Amino acid sequence: MNDFQNKVGWFYRHVKREWQIYLMLVPTVLWFILFLYKPMYGLQIAFKDYSIFRGIEASPWVGLEHFYTLFSSDQFIRAIWNTLIISLLSLVFGFPVPIILALMFNEILNQKFKKAAQTIVYLPHFISTVIIAGIVITAFSPSSGIVNLLLSKIGIDPIYFLTKPEWFRPIFIGSGIWQEAGFSSIVFLAAMAGVNPSLYESAVVDGASRWQMMWKITIPCILPTILIMLIIKIGNLLEVGFELIILLYQPATYETADVISTYIYRQGLVGAQYDLAAAAGLFNAVVAFILVMTANTISRRYSRTSLW
Amino acid sequence: MSGVKLEKIVKCYGDIEVVHGIDLEVAPQEFVVLVGPSGCGKSTTLRMVAGLEEITTGDLTIDGRHVNHVAPKDRDVAMVFQNYALYPHLNVGENMAFGLRIRKESKENIEKQVSEVAEILGLTEYLERCPADLSGGQRQRVAMGRAIVRHPKVFLFDEPLSNLDAKLRTQMRAEIKRLHKRLGVTSIYVTHDQVEAMTLADRIVVMCDGRIEQVGTPMQLFNHPNNIFVASFIGSPPMNQIEAEIDVQDGKLFAKFGEHSLRLSDSKELGTDCQGHKVVLGIRPEHIMTEADAESSPIPFDIDLIETLGSEALIHSEFMGKPFVVKAETHGDIKHLEELKAFHFKPGMIKVFDAETGNAIDHPDNA
Repeated sequence: MNDFQNKVGWFYRHVKREWQIYLMLVPTVLWFILFLYKPMYGLQIAFKDYSIFRGIEASPWVGLEHFYTLFSSDQFIRAIWNTLIISLLSLVFGFPVPIILALMFNEILNQKFKKAAQTIVYLPHFISTVIIAGIVITAFSPSSGIVNLLLSKIGIDPIYFLTKPEWFRPIFIGSGIWQEAGFSSIVFLAAMAGVNPSLYESAVVDGASRWQMMWKITIPCILPTILIMLIIKIGNLLEVGFELIILLYQPATYETADVISTYIYRQGLVGAQYDLAAAAGLFNAVVAFILVMTANTISRRYSRTSLW
Repeated sequence: MSGVKLEKIVKCYGDIEVVHGIDLEVAPQEFVVLVGPSGCGKSTTLRMVAGLEEITTGDLTIDGRHVNHVAPKDRDVAMVFQNYALYPHLNVGENMAFGLRIRKESKENIEKQVSEVAEILGLTEYLERCPADLSGGQRQRVAMGRAIVRHPKVFLFDEPLSNLDAKLRTQMRAEIKRLHKRLGVTSIYVTHDQVEAMTLADRIVVMCDGRIEQVGTPMQLFNHPNNIFVASFIGSPPMNQIEAEIDVQDGKLFAKFGEHSLRLSDSKELGTDCQGHKVVLGIRPEHIMTEADAESSPIPFDIDLIETLGSEALIHSEFMGKPFVVKAETHGDIKHLEELKAFHFKPGMIKVFDAETGNAIDHPDNA
């Protein structure tokens, strides 16, 4: 008891001394409680036959029934596969682009050109997803889109890109890279700015070329940052940019475009099957959690870099 | 072995000139230390020699070859940096081999060189370790090893010991000196620490505001500083300065300050027609006596503070409104120092500087 009182006393004194820091923490903690922890209470409907009229408490427990339903549904299995494929392709094609961009910016000597180029690649990040979707739809329009216009110049008939399942993934991933690669490169540029300049000077005296310096100094020095970003990306592997998919897909492209989050949206909000959607969402979260843990453990073991 | 020659070297950043036409010749195998306060242009000068900074005007030759426009890698110099500049992702052996690998030397040769140098520097057992697992002294040794394996014509050191603690600095200083004796490579060393300069250098170059104030052996600079700046920069604690006026009596020169008067030796430069000429007297703290002397009159003072160093003590006081330091022997006790009421100047040990120009009077270099 005495020990407990000591700890409480210590905590009280600590908060009293550092109250400004705790005050700054309040909004974030509130946000977490309201939007992430409080909804967790509702997660139980994944195991209930939920009805909005009976409410969460009164709805009867059904065990894993919704999970059986989900995993026996071809649509859900398809959504899992689509999520994984789109995520992996985004990771493979999308993850290196910001690093390459940052490396290129780092090599630009003309400061004015560098700033202009950076601003241009950062801009798409600030455009709303709806507008991005509008731009994509316009650009790939079969009648007036610039892509088909260019194709027609070289004698290719117009392609109905957005109605063809095989084109959905390249377009989705490409537009994602176009929108975010520039902005994501900021993290790597910041990491590069932190590299000790005398490493480069020492390499210059040793006779290294710019190419050698990039490979032997810049990349190894920002490797911890790359790994951290990779862990975060892997953790988000199952969170595909849901808004952009909703805006771009249509029943004709469900085959390749329907992902877990859009499936949840259709089942839960459109189809009002909240319990089934909650089960799908819970599955998504558990897999994401396992992915982050695994990536973090592997990274810590092999590179001494980890999120926690 | 190769020398380095700087002729009228000027460095400008935009419109601002920071190094104003430096002339310096470093002989083969010589160890030259550039010393001066922060911002005096010593590091910039070194970086120009390395090729990390462009030379605005002037000529730089290394081993008789004009190298103004030669890339750093082709100048055959190696540089040791203040913050070690070790690659954090490479181990000690790989760090030392980096320069050789870049130059595509054969694997056997690299291994041979690295193990030889590691042996010299006592790093053999650390070859597999990463820089993060080394102490500051070991890191600095690796940084030197990386320079040595390349067998350059010239070593450039940019404040290599500044990040080490005092004890390690003393130790590494001796190691660098030993290494220079053993390898005999021409070395240019930059530091702001005059003790490092005094202990390491064959010749010291004192710089201030982008200019060379004096070049000479440590003892030349200590005994014959050619201006007030050098006098106050070299020696620790710095030389005491007393403003005085020349008083000529019967053709003999005296320095008058306050109520005191001090006999000066005859001066060629001043002659005897210099009554009232303003001068600054420079007296090193160790050239002041605490015991009475027949030749000099006692000068009374109040002790402000005594710093005990062990065998010696620094007595701080104020004289004519300026801080004044006396270095005295303790003989194992400072009681007798606490009771002191006056001090005496050691005759013949007083430097006289022109108050207006700051230059030493009757200095051989200023003649």
